Amino acid sequence: MKVQQPQIFRRWMLGWVLVALLVTACAPAAPGAPAAPEQAGAPAGEAVTRANTLIFAADMTDIITLDPAVAYEFGGILPVGNMYETLLSFPPGETELQPVLAESWDVSQEGDMWKLTFRLNPNAKFASGAPVTAEDVVFSWSRAIDINKSPAFLLTDVCQMTKENIRAVDAGTVELRIPGEASPSVCLSVLTFTVAAVVEKAAVEPNMGDDMGESWLNDHSAGSGPYVLDRWDRNVSVTLNANPNYWGGVTPAMKRVILQNMPEAVNRQAAIETGDADIIQDVGPEQVAVLEGNPDIKLVKALSTLLVYAAVNASMPPFDNPDARQALRYAVNYDNIITLLGGNGELVQEIIPIGFLGHTGKNPFKQDLEKAKELFAKAGVAEGTVIPFTVATGTAPGGVEWATIAASIQADLAQIGIDLEIQQLQQSELLTKYRAQELPMLLMNWGPDFPDPDGNATPFANYEARSLAWRNSWNDPQAIELSKQAARETDPAKRVELYAQLVEYVQNNGPYVMLYQPTQIYAVRNNVEGFVYDPNDTPSISLWLITKQ
Amino acid sequence: MTRFILRRLGGLVFVLFGVSIMTFFLAQIVPADPVAAALGTNAREAQIEAYRRQLGLDQPVVVQYVRYMGRLLQGDLGASIRTRRPVADDLRDFLPATVELTLAAMLVTILVGIPLGVVAALRRNTWIDAAARILALIGGAMPIFYVGLLLLGVFYRQLRWLPGPGRLDSTLQPPTTLTGLYTVDALLTGNWPVFTDALAHLVLPAITLGLYSTAVLLRMTRSSMLEMLGQDFVRTARAKGLSQRLVIGRHVFKNALPPILTILGVIFGSLLSGAVLTETIFNWPGIGRYATTSVTTLDYPAVMGVALVAAVIYPLVNTLVDIGYSVIDPRVRTN
Repeated sequence: MKVQQPQIFRRWMLGWVLVALLVTACAPAAPGAPAAPEQAGAPAGEAVTRANTLIFAADMTDIITLDPAVAYEFGGILPVGNMYETLLSFPPGETELQPVLAESWDVSQEGDMWKLTFRLNPNAKFASGAPVTAEDVVFSWSRAIDINKSPAFLLTDVCQMTKENIRAVDAGTVELRIPGEASPSVCLSVLTFTVAAVVEKAAVEPNMGDDMGESWLNDHSAGSGPYVLDRWDRNVSVTLNANPNYWGGVTPAMKRVILQNMPEAVNRQAAIETGDADIIQDVGPEQVAVLEGNPDIKLVKALSTLLVYAAVNASMPPFDNPDARQALRYAVNYDNIITLLGGNGELVQEIIPIGFLGHTGKNPFKQDLEKAKELFAKAGVAEGTVIPFTVATGTAPGGVEWATIAASIQADLAQIGIDLEIQQLQQSELLTKYRAQELPMLLMNWGPDFPDPDGNATPFANYEARSLAWRNSWNDPQAIELSKQAARETDPAKRVELYAQLVEYVQNNGPYVMLYQPTQIYAVRNNVEGFVYDPNDTPSISLWLITKQ
Repeated sequence: MTRFILRRLGGLVFVLFGVSIMTFFLAQIVPADPVAAALGTNAREAQIEAYRRQLGLDQPVVVQYVRYMGRLLQGDLGASIRTRRPVADDLRDFLPATVELTLAAMLVTILVGIPLGVVAALRRNTWIDAAARILALIGGAMPIFYVGLLLLGVFYRQLRWLPGPGRLDSTLQPPTTLTGLYTVDALLTGNWPVFTDALAHLVLPAITLGLYSTAVLLRMTRSSMLEMLGQDFVRTARAKGLSQRLVIGRHVFKNALPPILTILGVIFGSLLSGAVLTETIFNWPGIGRYATTSVTTLDYPAVMGVALVAAVIYPLVNTLVDIGYSVIDPRVRTN
């Protein structure tokens, strides 16, 4: 039976065609269309166009705040560090402290306390135009201590700062007193971090609400940095505008910077290829292969401050015996792991990363199975011993699966009859067990909290700090004493000497097999200049130095 | 009708109670510490202790549950452990994105699935029927992530006809929030450039998400229509000399509608859960992605927030479907 197509369906079809037409009519215009030249919230002066807008795409799922007193995630520190300034900093490529808001400072001893005196730069002013005063500094540091969120321990524990010991001597001078057992060198390094950034008291105080201004600072900025906050769309993007009143002598070329949250590597790759993004972060090994041949894109390798290591529990057999720990270090094929990383990591066998004071650059271990076998025998570890080896699911820094690195180590030990039993756990679950000192052997990574060797030496060597040495049940008086002594020393040359001793001691006695320092790869469009990544600097990317042709 | 709706809403309370109990106690079984996960590798033991106390996680599980329910009854979903924001604020930010995507996918499903199913049934065994069946086969067989990547590869990266992932071009500012649906808000505020851009951004994810359900609806419509076309009353209607339009529109289609409506209710639920993957592929800032992040960081107040929202939406849609029945089928009304 042949049925005529009824009119009602013809109308349906017509509607359908109309929808399709509407879709195709608006679609082609969208991606190629230039950005609306002037939008609400655009900075005064030069109009914002795509040409002076920088789009930076990265996985920024970790951003939870834009308040400098609270921010402690990679994603959050990038915008915060570009909106707020600290008294001093390590600018890109510098290992010595440079003045920012403070034009000079000195450290002296006063009784059993250290006195740190900072003289502020009289030209320094906030984006509002008001000058940066000692009163603002005291307010900002006291606020960070009171608010007591993730990064506050840097001020209260590491610097041992208390509110009573921060004082505005006059409008341009700040005095900070810290106890004699604290380290002024470490404290100065800590003061380069965003938690010590200066917020404008007059702007924040009226908006304190019941959370000390944290939620207000999530949608407004009150800093003196080269950028100001335009808006933060949670989980989507943070938009910064150039600060038209910036006092620091440079005018940011990028009038607007959009930090785009893009968790998927494939999407980031597409964004840089199409030019939808100017810079992308975290290019994985597979993407490197594709992007390398692209004439419009350059790849920038940036060494992180992370260290990836295997660790054992020094109170559980067989690794309660130092010889067994040393045997493990001789059993691992380090070259193999570096090869796996495909150029995304540098061999580092010590607890202080490349780029830090005290890094020795010595890599004494090379796979020597005979020696490893001998040392295991000396420690009384029989062939066929089974050791549980816990690793996280997912990717390790450097872009290789944790399980792949574990398998490589497992194969090394299998050659001398030691059976590593790989057990995979979700990172948070692994961390819970590690903190509870429950894991006989594991793979992990560590990044220092502040750009000073103490940020690694204390966690790795000092059991009393209840950090890594504690998690691995390694209570070694000599390592503890050395780490304390090195932190307290103020003479840089003597510090280097002390850290060299500590590094060597931990290298040969500690519960760690230090493996590598990963690099992070950025892809940058060819017309972008001035992109520098410096892990010691806060922020690690100085957006105001970037230009576009 | 009012009693029917009230009874449905009463049932909803039990569903919510069950969901809250289940998610809460499932979170307790996971052998990991959400606080340690939120504060990261470097956090000191003292910090973790302090935050745990602050959240009340040092209390016995039952006490925690009673406190949680107490707050929930006052409409407070609690604060996310990871972001420290009220979960309600997070949901308010992310839910509209998912709703917009789901509605768009629903639109694709209905606009393509029903007409194509009807035409395929009326033109049985012609090329158009064959094409419809091939579409149903492809739509039913291709996994969402593959469709998404394929569409992005072709229409965004190669042809550049449509924009890439995200809800809006990053250089555009979202429209003033009224409903949270960008297309609707842009239209209401007369923001034409944002409307076209948001609409263009919706096309690929809506097709990706809607493809499978389009296939399901197409098959259902086709078979339901075929069944009705063979019924005696259709022959009678034709014999009465009714126009083709009236026969198909009033007799065949209307009677073929109940099973289609049922399947639409089910489809809406599956679209919501399918949105998780589509949101990941298309960098869509909805509750699917929020749920994924929350689950991997063991942020159980957030997970519970999402679960409760889903638990409300699903029965709500089913109630709407039931109401829809009574509109099209008088027998349901009298019962």
